[in-house]
Amino acid sequence: MSADKRAVPVAYLDHGATSWPKPQPVIDAVVRALTELGGNPGRGAYAMALDASRAIFEARRACAQLLGVADSRDLLFQSGCTAGCNLMLKGTLKPGDRVVVGSMEHNAVARPLAHLARLGIEIAVVKADRTGLIDPDDVERAVRQEPTRAVVCQHASNLTGTIQLVGDLADIAHEHGAIMLVDGAQGVGHLEVDIAALGVDAYAASGHKGMLGPQGVGLLYLAPGLEADVQIEGGTGAGGSESLEMPAERPDRYEAGTANTPGIVGLGAAAGFLAGEGAAQRDLEADLARRLHEGILGIEGFRVLGPPPGVPRVPIVSAVHERVDGDRIAFVLDRTYGIAARAGLHCAPWAHDTVGTFECGAVRFGVGWGTTGAHIELALRALHEIVSS
Amino acid sequence: MSVREPRTFAIFGFATTHTALAAEQLLKDLGVPVTPIPAPKSLGGALCGIALRIDPLDAERAELLLERADLSPRARGEIEDV
Repeated sequence: MSADKRAVPVAYLDHGATSWPKPQPVIDAVVRALTELGGNPGRGAYAMALDASRAIFEARRACAQLLGVADSRDLLFQSGCTAGCNLMLKGTLKPGDRVVVGSMEHNAVARPLAHLARLGIEIAVVKADRTGLIDPDDVERAVRQEPTRAVVCQHASNLTGTIQLVGDLADIAHEHGAIMLVDGAQGVGHLEVDIAALGVDAYAASGHKGMLGPQGVGLLYLAPGLEADVQIEGGTGAGGSESLEMPAERPDRYEAGTANTPGIVGLGAAAGFLAGEGAAQRDLEADLARRLHEGILGIEGFRVLGPPPGVPRVPIVSAVHERVDGDRIAFVLDRTYGIAARAGLHCAPWAHDTVGTFECGAVRFGVGWGTTGAHIELALRALHEIVSS
Repeated sequence: MSVREPRTFAIFGFATTHTALAAEQLLKDLGVPVTPIPAPKSLGGALCGIALRIDPLDAERAELLLERADLSPRARGEIEDV
């Protein structure tokens, strides 16, 4: 089969964008949702609607258990991490508020903040170092300067793999009367995330990246007592349909409209899968990412963004070559070798600007479930051949 | 085929489907039989969604158990059913 007809890559290394393949329990759960759970969850008391409602209920509990959320009603299903970030930011910040945010944020945070800035919210950006790490001392200095409503930071970078010190940042925020809001898109699954232990006030998570669920579903944790303004209003099915106000109770307050049952049920299965296999998977990913990182550093002309080998990172390895552009590398990786990797700015212009790659971009490899040592060896051989030719 | 006489059941209505299902699971786990039913108008207001039907002899204990678990019903009523 010619390269441009090959839909399935030989080596899928774009887990930073989305995970593939999916574990069989996730596939089975989605198929079951589509074949057996046909009723509209929360919209009827007949058996098939109840079964759908129960499946979503169980999925929420499985996700809450995985993430250390005591009351699963505080864990909201969203259409993705981006939707969760929008609700988290636009729901809790008001004109006149001041926000301290790290410079490594993805556009899922940067763009809503840019919108909020136009509404009169002050944005103070704390620049990360060249490895992508936000120094908590810098955040404390910024928070101390003026009254601050919120500290906003990612859990891990989608460009450099850098793991931010979110728990420390939450402590700093709370010491100064601010709330801590986290974009965890690259965190859950690749990191063991205990939201209660982190002490954050809100945490948005992707369902389809490290969590290994289907696309089109994500999570938002809102701490008890943290009220966010509703962003989407509509039907919720249960008690209170006579009112034109959204219900006060979670999760319905933030989940208007028919739920994405296949996505949510698949995500619940993924949470169950990670509860059993997650620790071993994280160890494997870390080892493969380290081999890839060290291997790229061994090829002349490459530099790898982010922390040096030996410093923990989520399994993302982005590289820049001194002579061959990242887009060219990604194209040849795909067409000649069947390797899926992503070039460009990765929807993270702030992060690229921070680490000095805004003008050239980078080629990014994301390791995850299904990645093997053979994939890493193939990628390293391909990179060597591409820049040597 | 025998015909059962209608009798009175207690019914609990909840603010959300999630709370109703959590209450159903809790009560069943603790040996209190409950049946989800379409929320009737007798619960007050134009409630939609589901309610839990329960033997009136179990209602007081059930409500106590639900209160302890932060799953208290938002509305209470009675219904004639078979």
